[in-house]
Amino acid sequence: MEARYLFKRLCYCGLAFIASITIIFLLLHFMPGDYVTFYLLEISRTTPVEVIEHYQHVYGLDQPFLEHYVNYVVAVIQGDWGYSFEYRVPVFPLIGQKLWWTLMIMVPSLILSTIIGAVAGAWSGWKRGTKGDMALLSSMLFFRAIPSYWLAIMGLLVFSCLLGWFPLGGYMSINALFSGYDIFDIIHHAALPILTTTLLSLTGTYYLMRNSMLMTLGEDYITTARAKGLKESVILRKHAARNALLPMVTMIAMQCAHLMAGSIFIETIFSWPGMGMLTFNALNMRDVPLLQGIFLMGALILIAANFAADMVYPLLDPRVEESMHE
Amino acid sequence: MSKKNLAMRVSIAIFAIYLLIALFAPLLTPYDPFIIAGGIYEEPSPEHLLGTNDLAQDIFSQLIYGTRATLLLGFTGAILSVSIGTAIGIVSGYYGGRVDEFITRTLDIVMTIPTFPLLLVMMMFFTPGIYVTGILMGLLGSARGVRVIRSQVLSIAQMNFITGVKVMGASDLYVMAKHVLPNLLSLVTVQFVFSAQHFMVMGIGLGFLGLGDSNVIDWGQMIDRAYQNGGVINGLWWWLIPPGMAVTFLSLSLALFGYSMEDEINPRMKLTRI
Repeated sequence: MEARYLFKRLCYCGLAFIASITIIFLLLHFMPGDYVTFYLLEISRTTPVEVIEHYQHVYGLDQPFLEHYVNYVVAVIQGDWGYSFEYRVPVFPLIGQKLWWTLMIMVPSLILSTIIGAVAGAWSGWKRGTKGDMALLSSMLFFRAIPSYWLAIMGLLVFSCLLGWFPLGGYMSINALFSGYDIFDIIHHAALPILTTTLLSLTGTYYLMRNSMLMTLGEDYITTARAKGLKESVILRKHAARNALLPMVTMIAMQCAHLMAGSIFIETIFSWPGMGMLTFNALNMRDVPLLQGIFLMGALILIAANFAADMVYPLLDPRVEESMHE
Repeated sequence: MSKKNLAMRVSIAIFAIYLLIALFAPLLTPYDPFIIAGGIYEEPSPEHLLGTNDLAQDIFSQLIYGTRATLLLGFTGAILSVSIGTAIGIVSGYYGGRVDEFITRTLDIVMTIPTFPLLLVMMMFFTPGIYVTGILMGLLGSARGVRVIRSQVLSIAQMNFITGVKVMGASDLYVMAKHVLPNLLSLVTVQFVFSAQHFMVMGIGLGFLGLGDSNVIDWGQMIDRAYQNGGVINGLWWWLIPPGMAVTFLSLSLALFGYSMEDEINPRMKLTRI
């Protein structure tokens, strides 16, 4: 049964990726203009029609719909994601290289925000209706409504310009040219983007955890635990918080999509050389193949995150495993 | 309860101010926001309340006019996405069975598509006019609300009065439109408010990324211009901060409205500790 579940989830992942490829293919196939035309017009505004047609033939763009589609899907799966106009390199390795920088911001932020959000949310739900809960809830909702780009600009303005605690942007100091890599220097540069991203996803995690806690506290087993005369702290830790944590697994997967959109703004504002800034550059250069590659990579990350959540969930919640066997 | 009402009233009041500013923008602005109104990079003065930008346009007038684009983007997106999401949610929850199964499974797959990068790719192909942007955001964001609506419809569809109306021979379409939809109104309103907030913030973000409609003034393009012209480093606060504050307050007022309304209709929130 375990194997069947795994297989089913893997099929879903495959389907989801094919769906993403199909959408991007339909856009590229049916929208006016294609890579080659764009590219040739980039080189010279007065490219003769014959030249464009010749290139379209060479690159297989004049194939019939179905053949073109199949070739495209095969190429994407083989890692041939096209060729960036601006950077003059294949898209896939370019994105792969930038991905690490993005993960350097995203992974610590996700970990931090999950821990802080879960603890604060559990506390808030437990203390429901008290002044402390209300204050925390209001401030979290306040930060949740602030656009990510505005949070980043304000952070930069306050902490870098006014207080001078953090650098104005980039990923290492100019000194690195002479003294080589310095890991502390990179951390110093990454600190503000990480903190901003953490705040960005923290509020969502907190809100869900608080709601989940409220739901759990209404359950009968909490009443039972109270009737048994357990200590309040034991009920909080062993019964309420533990069960309330379950929906967080799905939440973390969902946060990835949110953070990916946010990273475009945050990396641009802090000049962090990850996928987000790559997206910004691709937009400004109208680099369609690169953007398409970024979309596909985004889809892969989301699919992987959802798959991980699907795998972890049954391990944490035996009830889900039960229902899988039925 | 009275506290909730207060929150709702405050949020409606703030929003009303934005709406009035958008409606009466021409009366409130001292200059046409597109014309050369003085020197470039002027500091705030009685003639130019927030100074002028790199093209010598009056920043205060631009700020006022920017309200229009923001509200338009948010509402175009929200109307479209909530209509589509609600329609699909109702059909899925009402018919149940295979239809529901098909829609839920499709949704599972659609939800793994990163909509924001997809939106960016699409904006490369369409000339990003303000309405096109709103429509694209609405279409791509419509999957978000389907689940909430669906689960609500599932429980409504089981209710006795629905069975009663069906026994009397009402058609499915009639039941969905006349009996299911009215029971969803408060939920749909909450979704609408949150979607509008989401799309306003997103629309301004697109302007910031340089994808705004260049024939329209929006706060995103203003922030972008200020940022590109060294607004942070040179401390041009009168250019950088007002549009950001404007969108933040607008977003806050809508969020406040959404949350206080959600509190009213969500029985889960009324659970008390034993």
